[in-house]
Amino acid sequence: MIAYALRRLIAMLPVLALVLVIVFGLTRMIPGDPAETLLGPGATTAQIDALRHELRLDRPALQQFIDYVGGLARGDLGASIKTGRTVASELAARLPATIELAFAAFALALLGGIPAGILAARRPGGPVDRTLQFLSLCGVSIPAFLLAFGLQYVFSAWLGVLPVAGRNSAFAVGEEQGGFALTRSLLTFHLTTFGDLAAHILLPATVLAAFLAATLGRFLRNTMIDTLSEDYVRTARAKGLTERAILLKHALPNAIGPSIMVLGVQFGDMLGGAILTETVFSWPGVGRYMFEAIRARDYPVIQSTTLVFALMFMLMSLAADLLSVALDPRLRQDRGRG
Amino acid sequence: MLCADRRDLLLAGLAGAGLAVGRLRPGRAAAPIDREKVLVVAIGSDPVGLEPAANRAEPIGSEIIVNIFDPLVSWARDSDAEPQGRLAESWRVGDDGRRYSFTLREGLTFHDDTPCDAEAVRFSLERTRRLNPYMRASLDAVERFEVTGRLTLDIVLLRPVPFFLSLLAQPQSGIVSPTAVRRLGPDFASHPVGTGAFRLQSYTPDVGLTLVRNPSYFRGPSTLEFLVYRVIADASTRRLELERGEIDICQQHAQLTSLPMADIDSFRRNPEIQVIEISSQIMRQLEFNNRATGGPVTDLRVRKAIAHAVDYDGLVDGVLAGTVDRAYGPLPTTNWAFDPAMRSLAPHYDPQQSRALLAAAGYAPGALQISLYTFEGTFWAAVATFLQASLAAVGIDARIEQMEFPSLRALHVAGRFEAALDGREPWYNDPDAHITIGYLSGLAETAMTFRMPPDTALDGLILQAQTEIDPTRRKTLYGQIQARLMARVPAVYLFTNKVIVFARKEVQGLVVKSTPPLNEYWSVSKTRAYP
Repeated sequence: MIAYALRRLIAMLPVLALVLVIVFGLTRMIPGDPAETLLGPGATTAQIDALRHELRLDRPALQQFIDYVGGLARGDLGASIKTGRTVASELAARLPATIELAFAAFALALLGGIPAGILAARRPGGPVDRTLQFLSLCGVSIPAFLLAFGLQYVFSAWLGVLPVAGRNSAFAVGEEQGGFALTRSLLTFHLTTFGDLAAHILLPATVLAAFLAATLGRFLRNTMIDTLSEDYVRTARAKGLTERAILLKHALPNAIGPSIMVLGVQFGDMLGGAILTETVFSWPGVGRYMFEAIRARDYPVIQSTTLVFALMFMLMSLAADLLSVALDPRLRQDRGRG
Repeated sequence: MLCADRRDLLLAGLAGAGLAVGRLRPGRAAAPIDREKVLVVAIGSDPVGLEPAANRAEPIGSEIIVNIFDPLVSWARDSDAEPQGRLAESWRVGDDGRRYSFTLREGLTFHDDTPCDAEAVRFSLERTRRLNPYMRASLDAVERFEVTGRLTLDIVLLRPVPFFLSLLAQPQSGIVSPTAVRRLGPDFASHPVGTGAFRLQSYTPDVGLTLVRNPSYFRGPSTLEFLVYRVIADASTRRLELERGEIDICQQHAQLTSLPMADIDSFRRNPEIQVIEISSQIMRQLEFNNRATGGPVTDLRVRKAIAHAVDYDGLVDGVLAGTVDRAYGPLPTTNWAFDPAMRSLAPHYDPQQSRALLAAAGYAPGALQISLYTFEGTFWAAVATFLQASLAAVGIDARIEQMEFPSLRALHVAGRFEAALDGREPWYNDPDAHITIGYLSGLAETAMTFRMPPDTALDGLILQAQTEIDPTRRKTLYGQIQARLMARVPAVYLFTNKVIVFARKEVQGLVVKSTPPLNEYWSVSKTRAYP
């Protein structure tokens, strides 16, 4: 399996290179450049040209590409045109927020999707199944921005029980707001801080989780229904096992494998959703960083964040693949051969 | 029983978690904060440049700069004859208008407890001129700085610049601590040290900044302990945050953030929110391509017809719900050089006259078609749609082309348009900020200008007004310039945006400024804690 994982990792390199070429080309094709955007409507052409020269944007695109790739080979992601700081340091400041949000969403998706899939599969076509199917349809089809605004209006504006946006309260002056703030507050038992941070992560994580939970629930329901019609389940029932034991000990472990693969692939969609969700909820993560970079035509940031997203997507797909293999011995033989 | 691979996986997971936990630093517990002592201001994005030499008139960073740094002088109101002293206690201008002799206040200190003296002012302004390309245009007229005593400094100019004090009142003219600059090197940009009412305590990208009050501020310490800038990118989210009391202040049309027009009525009805409005010098107009060599807008009658087709009151009071003031000419009414005669000279809404002018120019109803270019966003779309309807009513078929800023700029500077919505947000308080870059023919193709054709008489007046040191004669010159421009109709002057601040009702003592539209929070207090 290690050899298989290594092969997959090596296969990622050409994909990443392709992503790099495409993104570099696309950023240069968008009208306008960072110097114009940075200086605004009042700027003179001379001021814009001077800044363009200072930012080395007046050189041929091919030369810029060669320099960027050369920098990447040395582990240098370049510097943000907007702020002048290194992209690596800016990414490092924002990645923890995105990782915590992604994990919170992932946890919510599992907590929602797995029970929903199991419950729906118990009585296919029954009222529980139909209700869950409807909710799942909503989860899959509702646009993320609509769900975000809806949740904000219901839980923040109307009920007033959850914060509207941000990672913590603006009045929590003096608290550390960066890094793995939620994890840190939990592990160091600063429970008031943890409560504030957890309340802030709940709505954006729910928005991100909705699509994933709905997809997982629907997929798991179908595989569970197939599994429950297998001979060994009939045998288990004949032996007098409880329905709970049949569902959780026999059917679920066999049905969950394909769902994990789906989760891995859908994680990419979740990352795409993070750009919008982080913007609406003022979440200080990589998604919003990317959004701001696109608005400012901050080429090095757009290129690097796209690479990071692509890498995360591929690594999650690989992790899901490896997890499925670990859980299903039949797949292990296939992967070993392939 | 777990198979070998599953055990490996579990162990790997545990090891990873252990490593992650091991890297965690102990959290810092927050001291209980009195919410009356904290002012939270919403900003739309991270600031770019937190110190005078690094900021190129970017508004969010500029507002933070005016709260951390002080300039030599500062404007109280746009309509004042001259700015007030800030770090400067007094000054005298030489008879030839080239020598400015400043005397600083006694006992000024920077946040790092080093003295703010004449040498620090020289160091600071020279450094900003050297490092900040945006400020070169402002400070290039300086021939030399002469430190004449511990607290006295002369600035000698190459030529008279009657608005030099206005240039010194810009945020980018703030005075930095030379000791901190030398000690911190490039890190000074992220650890700014000035004399201002607040010091920077922390900055978390995409989250915001926390400023803490300067207890030894020379104007007296602020009653606020903390000034928190909170990054909230989405306008609807800002509205909800303000309504819930999670932020204290957000702004409209003041560059920092912009809320949808519909939210303003909602705030006006909300007893928890106060709406503070002041007139500004932020001009908005429909510009013609005055260097076009062909096409309908080269005909003065067509330009006049378009100007008479606009229902100005409907636009100001109806579409824009009183969030703007009518503009009557090239200068806003709040500018000291505005000539009141422009109120009667300005075109008024007269569709009949508009149709008659079009007929005289040879255009039958529906025969004239123009493209109307504008920026992105609902605000500009609303203005453009209203103009389109106004023009349709007199028989002009206008097609709206809404474009992203970089594309619109490229098209505008290249002169590939007939009419475009545009604006000017002056950064220093002087008619020069509107007139020179906008109308001097020599600068026509260097930026988004009115693209004026060569006009010896007009150019001469503009250059004369630039260097005339007698205020009365200067005002007369700007009166003549305004009259000439009104006769030529280089644009349809529409309105000036009001600077509008939405604040929780607990916020008191805020003095809103318009040129530039940046607020200082030194004078602000909060009356009681939020529920």
